[in-house]
Amino acid sequence: MLEADPTDAIDFDRSVIGVSYDVGTHEVTEQQVAEFARAIGETNPLYLSTEAAKNGPHGVLIAPPTYYTSIRLQAGPDPKIVFGTMGFNASQHCEFYEPMCVGDTIRAKEQISRVFAKTGRTGTLVFAVRQTTYVNQHGRIVMMVESSNVRRDMGQ
Amino acid sequence: MSQVYFEDVDLGYELAPLIKEPTREQLDAFTKVWDTSTGRFISDEAARAEGFTGVILPGNMSMAFLAQLLTEWAGPSGKLRRLEVNFRRWVQPGDRLACMGLVTDTDTNDGENKVMLDVHIENQNGERALQGTAIVVLPGKR
Repeated sequence: MLEADPTDAIDFDRSVIGVSYDVGTHEVTEQQVAEFARAIGETNPLYLSTEAAKNGPHGVLIAPPTYYTSIRLQAGPDPKIVFGTMGFNASQHCEFYEPMCVGDTIRAKEQISRVFAKTGRTGTLVFAVRQTTYVNQHGRIVMMVESSNVRRDMGQ
Repeated sequence: MSQVYFEDVDLGYELAPLIKEPTREQLDAFTKVWDTSTGRFISDEAARAEGFTGVILPGNMSMAFLAQLLTEWAGPSGKLRRLEVNFRRWVQPGDRLACMGLVTDTDTNDGENKVMLDVHIENQNGERALQGTAIVVLPGKR
């Protein structure tokens, strides 16, 4: 006998699944790269020294790999999950193709690839998997991120 | 900066741990550049209302420490290709974090020197805050 999929019982907007949205552009600036690098305690001169970067493999200042987490984008697709009292970042999966460089204009696209529920010993968890693609001004994909957010009921 | 080469590593090779002790000032700087208004990252009061003892770090901030471990190890000619992490436990300013990496496989199949790693962050109590896997591409000696 097939077990019921707990996802079927969750109220969310199924129409956004798999639909790609433009979520804006971002100018990679020396200031934001420096602020991000300092906040995470980075000292790599490729992020912080124009001189060192000029002689480095890219010829210009680059951003640390996870700089994308400091990029403010427009609100992406919202699956409007009606469940739980609290949301957490459960996991991130990043594929890095080339660094973001100072001076780049990065365009981002986002889609909700999946929403699913899991019921275990600690109750039900609802996951939303969001995929964001970052493209530079040359039309090349510089990185892709799949980020999974979980909602749960803290009163459980 | 020194350079590690593909020929230098093999299964079981351990990266020198990167120790991070994030401060409240760094957390505030991180949330400012990110421009977040999520209470548990910016206000002790809001964090306590959610059951924490005080502000916690965004998972993304701890993930950056693992990226730093890997890029420092990969050196100027190495590349971080993939990083995949699960957030398992919260991190707070003042925690002492050991960021670790262990080589689990190597592969040259598609013409690149790929190194697969298990990575994790352990706090001062031996608890795993983050756990995941990574792929780093290293230069060869020839």
